[in-house]
Amino acid sequence: MPDVDVLVVGAGPAGCVAAWETKHAAPELEVVLLERDRAVGAPVRCAEGVGDAGLREFANPDGAAWVARKITRVIFIAPDDTEVKVAERDVGWILDRTRFDAFLAGEACAEGAELLVGTEAAGMERAPDGRWDVRVRGPYGDATYRAKLVVGADGVEAMVGRWAGLDTRVPARDMESCAQYVIQGIEFDPDAIYLQFGRRIAPGGYAWIFPKGVGIANVGLGMVALKGDGRNAREYLDTWIAQRYPRGARTAYTVGGVIVHTTVKQTHTDGVLVAGDAAHMINPLSGGGIVNAMKAGRLAGRTAAAAVRAGDTSERALAAFHASWMDLLGEDHLKYYRIKRGLEDLDDEFFNSLARTVNRIPPHERTLGRIFTHALVRHPQLIPVAARFFL
Amino acid sequence: MKRAWAAEVAVVDLELCDRCGVCLPLCPPEAIHLEFDDLVVDRNTCTGCRKCVAPCPVGALAMVHA
Repeated sequence: MPDVDVLVVGAGPAGCVAAWETKHAAPELEVVLLERDRAVGAPVRCAEGVGDAGLREFANPDGAAWVARKITRVIFIAPDDTEVKVAERDVGWILDRTRFDAFLAGEACAEGAELLVGTEAAGMERAPDGRWDVRVRGPYGDATYRAKLVVGADGVEAMVGRWAGLDTRVPARDMESCAQYVIQGIEFDPDAIYLQFGRRIAPGGYAWIFPKGVGIANVGLGMVALKGDGRNAREYLDTWIAQRYPRGARTAYTVGGVIVHTTVKQTHTDGVLVAGDAAHMINPLSGGGIVNAMKAGRLAGRTAAAAVRAGDTSERALAAFHASWMDLLGEDHLKYYRIKRGLEDLDDEFFNSLARTVNRIPPHERTLGRIFTHALVRHPQLIPVAARFFL
Repeated sequence: MKRAWAAEVAVVDLELCDRCGVCLPLCPPEAIHLEFDDLVVDRNTCTGCRKCVAPCPVGALAMVHA
């Protein structure tokens, strides 16, 4: 039975950064990173958008091979197709997740972590000495790894948390079902991301166009099935695309789930940390999770390194992870979640008239702060939503 | 059988299923899991609550008589 110090389950952004950070903080520790899929970063289940500032905390995107497109504008589309351009500089990037995740895994390995692809964690039990025995299946057969600490970075499935007794279940109203095509040969502003809202388009979520290049984009949507009319996410998306891009070539297709909830009540227990999507560390307003996952992975890695080094991986010793995450972003997500719930009560006509209000502001004065102020004055229905941010 | 009172249980059509994992955290008794390329619903644990059915992005889950 191989003994390891830290076993990280899942080589996405959270797991790769957790492994990288653990080895960086404590090079003497043995860190193993498991990836169930045969390739890190594939299949892509992601719209691949990230903010510029958050990404730069971890890697320099300028000229990087893992970037698909730089984004400098956001275009919101109201349910009635009124477009609102919000011009900003250095908004963000559309990644090539297959290459980006491989880059992150490479950084972890450069620090000395060991990566095993095509290798699945199948279950885990507590050993008599308090370590975790993780049953693993891979190309070399079955094995059991005995680990002082397990980091569950296993995404929406969150099996590690489940095995460790943490509650990682999601209420149906807080699960967005997503479908996406890569579409080629369509016309749009390749420097902008487009977000369209509307009950008939993507109830409880939004549809997006994220450019991967000129004429090529991730075109998808996320919707809450409870708010829908019985059609599934793919059917909603097919309807939207038939109206918008009937002639584009659909060159790839993916589906997945985005948890638009708040951080799980407990992200740690004896010898276990959960991070990223597995711990619901996703911005519940935007559905963005990549930078959140990397930030959580960094905190998890630091906590893991300190705890294993000190010889104490008890729940109490690992509580620093939960506290530091809540300070960094978890508390903000609680506020965003309250806003999300407030916005759910507003109808399509509200967003149509809000779009027209914002378009009366001259484009060069159209900062988010000004939009917000104008919107509050002209649309008092927003005041209770705004108030929830502070309550 | 632990849940003999479930009149219906969820089944997955593996031809449609994309193994995306959306249904796993939606299942209150945690009856669904992934094993490499297969999605598995434990018939003895499923309570027939249907919470997994509508959110499946490709409509791969359905209820059948237990």
